[in-house]
Amino acid sequence: MCGIAGIFFKDGQGNRPVGHALVDMLDGCQHRGPDSTGFALYGAGDDHLVLRFLVGEGPEREAAIERIRSILSDFAATPVEERLTGVTWRVTVAFAGDIQAFAYALERGAKLLSVGRRLDIIKDCGTARDVDRVYGISGINGTHGIGHVRLATESDVRPEAAHPFWATGFADVAIVHNGQITNYWKMRRALEQRDFEFRTENDSELIAVYLADQLRSGASLNAALERAVEDLDGTFSFLVATGDGLGCAKDKLAAKPMVMMETDELVAIASEEVSLNRLFPGRQLNTSEPPPGSFATWSRSILP
Amino acid sequence: MVAIDLAVTPVREANQRIRALAAEGQDIDIINPDARHHIGVGLVTPTSVRIHGSAGYFCAGLSDGARFEVDNNVGWAVGDNMHRGSVVVGGNASAIAGVAIRGAEIVIRGNMGSRAGQVMKAGTLCCAGNASFLAGYMMYGGRIIILGDSGERVGEDMTGGTIYVGGRIVSLGADARETDLPAQERLEILEFLDRYGISFHGSLSRIENAGTKLRYGTPEPRSRPQPYDRGDEGGAATGYWNRRVREDIAIKAQIGRYRIRGYGASKPMPDFGDIDFARDVEKGLAHPDPLAAVSLETTVGSRSGAKPLGLSMPVMIAPMSYGALSRSMKIALAVASRLSGVAENTGEGGMLDRQREEADQLIYQCLSGRLGWNVHNMQRADAIEFYASQGAKPGLGGQLMAKKVTPDLAAMRGIPQGIDLRSPSRHPDVLGADDLVIKIEEFREATAYRLPIGLKMGAGRVQHDIKIAYKDGFDYVALDGVQGGTGAASTEVLENVGIPTLAAIQEAMDGLKEIDAGNDMDIVLMGGIKDGVDVVKALALGARACAMGTSLLIAAGCIACMQCHVGACPVGIATQDPDHEQRLEVRTAAEKIHRYLETVRWQIAALTLGLGHTDVRQLGRSDLVALTPEAAALTGLPYVPKRAATAA
Repeated sequence: MCGIAGIFFKDGQGNRPVGHALVDMLDGCQHRGPDSTGFALYGAGDDHLVLRFLVGEGPEREAAIERIRSILSDFAATPVEERLTGVTWRVTVAFAGDIQAFAYALERGAKLLSVGRRLDIIKDCGTARDVDRVYGISGINGTHGIGHVRLATESDVRPEAAHPFWATGFADVAIVHNGQITNYWKMRRALEQRDFEFRTENDSELIAVYLADQLRSGASLNAALERAVEDLDGTFSFLVATGDGLGCAKDKLAAKPMVMMETDELVAIASEEVSLNRLFPGRQLNTSEPPPGSFATWSRSILP
Repeated sequence: MVAIDLAVTPVREANQRIRALAAEGQDIDIINPDARHHIGVGLVTPTSVRIHGSAGYFCAGLSDGARFEVDNNVGWAVGDNMHRGSVVVGGNASAIAGVAIRGAEIVIRGNMGSRAGQVMKAGTLCCAGNASFLAGYMMYGGRIIILGDSGERVGEDMTGGTIYVGGRIVSLGADARETDLPAQERLEILEFLDRYGISFHGSLSRIENAGTKLRYGTPEPRSRPQPYDRGDEGGAATGYWNRRVREDIAIKAQIGRYRIRGYGASKPMPDFGDIDFARDVEKGLAHPDPLAAVSLETTVGSRSGAKPLGLSMPVMIAPMSYGALSRSMKIALAVASRLSGVAENTGEGGMLDRQREEADQLIYQCLSGRLGWNVHNMQRADAIEFYASQGAKPGLGGQLMAKKVTPDLAAMRGIPQGIDLRSPSRHPDVLGADDLVIKIEEFREATAYRLPIGLKMGAGRVQHDIKIAYKDGFDYVALDGVQGGTGAASTEVLENVGIPTLAAIQEAMDGLKEIDAGNDMDIVLMGGIKDGVDVVKALALGARACAMGTSLLIAAGCIACMQCHVGACPVGIATQDPDHEQRLEVRTAAEKIHRYLETVRWQIAALTLGLGHTDVRQLGRSDLVALTPEAAALTGLPYVPKRAATAA
């Protein structure tokens, strides 16, 4: 139960105010979910891999970091830069091996929030303003990003239960989702039989892994979303981001809201128009609602 | 013209100013609306409101008589439940435009989202562009004019009203059909369009209800429900295939569908009889005047700062509709509520004037079909209750068989008369906890934050649901177990869906504890509460108060024939037939209910005193034990089977 937002700057310059825009948009729909807030932010990226772990704040933190270091060394991944912020530890590494095996191993060290060359997921309990204060989201520039405010219904209010969800095992794929997937277990079992591992019982993680699997087997984001709208049962409005693209999809019952606008410079999508107006106060926006059972994608082919 | 700038004025304050300005006869301009929710909600004074930009959810919702103009787009549920007046939207409308309108004119110059006009009763919803999926879903009356394409499944499960489509009919919904367009209707539409400056010269298709689903087919034979015995017969018929089982099969073989009856679950399940007091209570029973020695006054619903319900004892009357019950019975309950100083509840279907006058305090329920729901009755209620479900039939809407849908009742609810009314199972504008937050805020705006807003919830997965209720900000939750009654429901649902009231209160307390909610959201427990003994046990388990329904009907003379759905109640309680209704004398019934409630009061006081307390708020878990392993497992109370023996 929640609100979602996404922004995509078409020029692909890594210096666009993605963090600032998402904080404003999520603050605009915070009434939809006051428990936790999260951001998946995409930068220009380089050859290094950005890992962000949930390590907590107490004495368990050092132990968690030690466990991670040991696994990194097992995989010959050399830390280049590291930083502790809030309850997370962000480490940049040089690594060129198989990311799925690497990620599954790292999960044994501590909860891994994201892995990517461009992607960095930051999520914690509290409002958009709270998370911004601790993690300095507004100051983070990039190319695109998605965000989420959450009202916890069945699971606890914990940072790891917050969105966005990273597609565990797949670099640079993240998702935010409003709704409920009713054939969750059926789809999860099918993926598990093919040796995918799930780190939560959250249906949003399933969508992320499902899409990432499609992408890895060569499907375009567009084709992956087309299949998702057919395969997923239940109510959903979700946004998916990849290293160079953004997609949205809406269920056939149109039970969850989604409003979008597109200009020459950007695409902005949110649960409610009030979030879009936060980007352009006082202006009358030309917005549209995706029809039931539809999807759309935007990407930058100029990126490597 | 007076301008209000929403960039600097919060919507709550802006709505107060709009009301004040409207009362002075001023027209209003809203500047910088930026798609904020609830603009103009609760406005019942005619005026003009111009919104310079986009409005969010529930624009002009729960209003009557004003003219709204929105320059750009609107969010969900523009004009929700609007009576008179109009909204003209320059851009697009999101989902459920014109939901539940009762006479207003809603004009969308752009396109409109899915489920437009859901459960509308009267008035006109007009869209100059295209509609989306399920336009006219479950509409009861009025007209929808779509000049562009209809969207898929237009008119799905419509009961009444008419839909006109100027573009392509993408597909017809269930129980909708296309008909010829009478010349007169076309003229009326063109006149309407002309009035709003919309030019249209094309042809129009007309869609109406096809009438295949308005009534059940074969009627069910009258019968008295059989007891749940297993050894009731000898001979060839074993207890397993007993009379009850055989009768059920035989009737279904005849009617080819599920059966319907009134009352709640009848099969044995753990209940308050399976727990007992931990100490002897003789001291209280022997006291010369327990009522003087124990404080019983109870408030419900003060969490948000609204004026709470003030009850003379921790008891209220359970929600039961005018519809399921006769007008005389509803008035008798209202009178009894005044005589005993407790709250009465409208249930589904609206508020009667006489009920409002007689009731001490009156809770007004909002159900999915928005039947008899309107802002004026909200504003004269003492609390608002959002019905999510009820204990007798969690997940389903109300049912009222055709015999009870009289012209008077149909007019009050805004529906065609003589249909087998099956209310929707879902609210049109609440499909999740996130939407519900915005809905509650609409109620608060419409009642100036004066009234407690409660949630009526059938007991299913209480431990999760109660947390959602807490986070969504409800002032209280009316929690209803499977033993709760109903005027009509399918027997399978009655007997097999939901959890016992005893389990429900425990799950609620466990859920609230998990999120450290403390005691600020009150729980009103109901579902088979028989007497003051049950009330004291419920309070000791954590309920703030209890609501009683079936027991009060029995007090008034109900003979428990369980045929409430038929509409021919032999004692005039659950009927709309004047010949039957006259068998119930309002004053006599009210006095009986009042006398019974006073025995409940005495029991609560005596037992509370007997347990060593002087205030019902002091009751706690240490006052109780479980008599059966099942009750111990459900409640976590100590299993002390010998208690029953010593008390006897």
